[in-house]
Amino acid sequence: MADQPPQPLDVIQRWMQSVIVHPAGVAAGIDSASHTGEIEQGADRVDELICRSRAQTSIERLEVYSNAYKARLIEVLIGEYPAFVHALGEEAFVGLASGYLEVHPPASYTLGELGRFFADYLLETRPPNESEDGSPDWADFLIDLARLERCYSEVFDGPGIEELPPLDAERFRHLSPEQWITCRLVAAPCLRLAAYRFPVHEYASAVRHQQEPESPIAQVTRLAIHRREYVVRRTTIDAIQFGLLTRLVEGASIGQALEQLIEANSQAVVTADELSAWFRDWAAAGFFIGLAT
Amino acid sequence: MMPIPRCGHPNLGLGVGLRTVHFPYLLQHQPEVDWFEVISENFMDSRGRPRDVLDQLAERYPIVMHGVSLSIGSTDPLNLDYLRKLKSLADAVQAKWVSDHVCWTGVASRNSHDLLPLPYHEQSLQHVVERIRIVQDVLQRQLVLENPSSYVTFTASTMSEAEFVARMAEEADCGLLLDVNNIYVSSINHDFDPFEYLDAIPAHRVVQFHLAGHTNLGTHLIDTHDSHVTDPVWELYRKAHLLTGGASTLLEWDAKIPPFPIVHAEVMKARDYMSSALGSYRSRPANDQLQANSTVPHPATAVFAEVE
Ligand SMILES: [Fe+2]
Repeated sequence: MADQPPQPLDVIQRWMQSVIVHPAGVAAGIDSASHTGEIEQGADRVDELICRSRAQTSIERLEVYSNAYKARLIEVLIGEYPAFVHALGEEAFVGLASGYLEVHPPASYTLGELGRFFADYLLETRPPNESEDGSPDWADFLIDLARLERCYSEVFDGPGIEELPPLDAERFRHLSPEQWITCRLVAAPCLRLAAYRFPVHEYASAVRHQQEPESPIAQVTRLAIHRREYVVRRTTIDAIQFGLLTRLVEGASIGQALEQLIEANSQAVVTADELSAWFRDWAAAGFFIGLAT
Repeated sequence: MMPIPRCGHPNLGLGVGLRTVHFPYLLQHQPEVDWFEVISENFMDSRGRPRDVLDQLAERYPIVMHGVSLSIGSTDPLNLDYLRKLKSLADAVQAKWVSDHVCWTGVASRNSHDLLPLPYHEQSLQHVVERIRIVQDVLQRQLVLENPSSYVTFTASTMSEAEFVARMAEEADCGLLLDVNNIYVSSINHDFDPFEYLDAIPAHRVVQFHLAGHTNLGTHLIDTHDSHVTDPVWELYRKAHLLTGGASTLLEWDAKIPPFPIVHAEVMKARDYMSSALGSYRSRPANDQLQANSTVPHPATAVFAEVE
């Protein structure tokens, strides 16, 4: 035990953290800290700071923390991105996740934040698309899969509609044409609309059901991702439904949303019957929780 | 004046750490369990199924909140937003008490999500005591702190962990969560006598016990929470029970989690060690097999999405 005054606590904490999170390992971390930090001891003198035990050197003891740091965080990412891991393979994923953790080290009190920027990281570090016609490639598939799995996490644990009374689909029937055009819908807080370049939802579900899905062929896929009874649900929607829902969620009235949709796509032909069926389905599915007339 | 046992908290009996894999079983069977401990961080932001399940269980069972990110020993400022969320969850589920660890989890705005040990000296003691007082003010309740398992010790330490924990509890007037498995794990890793450790702890401040399994890697033990409680840990528990007169006891099982009845049966074994006769683990073959596989120490608890 020490007879000299100890290193200030903040100094020893910054040192230990930098050592155990160093990507090249503990010994490299100690040497790197000795060049730049407030602690001069290199790897050969680390037992001046950390006691050795009967069976382990000081470096081996620090390695318990450094191994645990990486293993624990990667385990959490594997839990959040199971389909992505299945697609890439666990070994390659560990390499990729290690790079991610260097750029986005954990900073929150909750592990729920750990994977937040994973898809962004993939986008920033992706290899160039090598397909001749610029069609979506393997990296696009992986990025979309990561976006979907992160969306699942956020919808699963975010605010939902379970405690709210359902929006009565019959209310749409009783609106006058005038009310119908001007009314706005209040979207459920758990509703997300997302477009992907592959049917990533099918791949993700297959993995979650312990199947061995083939890598899918590119195909534009639009999803409404939502939650009912605390379980994440996803519904495929077509381009017109996607456009309409997106505008409604952004706060447009039904009339405005339809108008914009026709402006953007003169081919869009939707009958009044189709429209009212959609709205009933969306209300029943819990996409919307209120009507403001 | 006679000190009040358990800092005045009730002895809730034998409880189990709530884990998401057991949610369906618990909701369906509503088993007879004395109480549950929940990982605070998995519920404080949840507005989905985890929180809903907790609310349902809180109606039927006493709930204790156990955190892993308070970072009471860090030299970073305390996270007041975190503390407010902790308090509001504690109020909502009527937590019997709120606990965390004698450790730091990160510095410079990072969180290693590990329970990192402190050097034990006057400076770190004063630092921790001061922060416990602030936390107790914000939470408006007494904090309960747990001894962590550790894998390094610092040459700068001037006192044992037991002395640090004992003085910390007295000076900050906080409760203690004595993790008997952690004492054992650290006693092997750092070569001290775990029974002497128990003797140094102010018994009346022990609000709760933790029991868990660990992994023996030959050169050191790791606190993996992935198996049964070992015999030497049970013997320590026997003595801890004797010294304190008994306190709420909880089993933690965080990896390779078996079905709920097996986890519950494990904590029920504690009844066998509440008799006064002291056994001797030294003369008994320990059920402590060497493991060669890779291991992740506690904590690694995260919640993952359920998708249709
Ligand atoms: Fe514990």
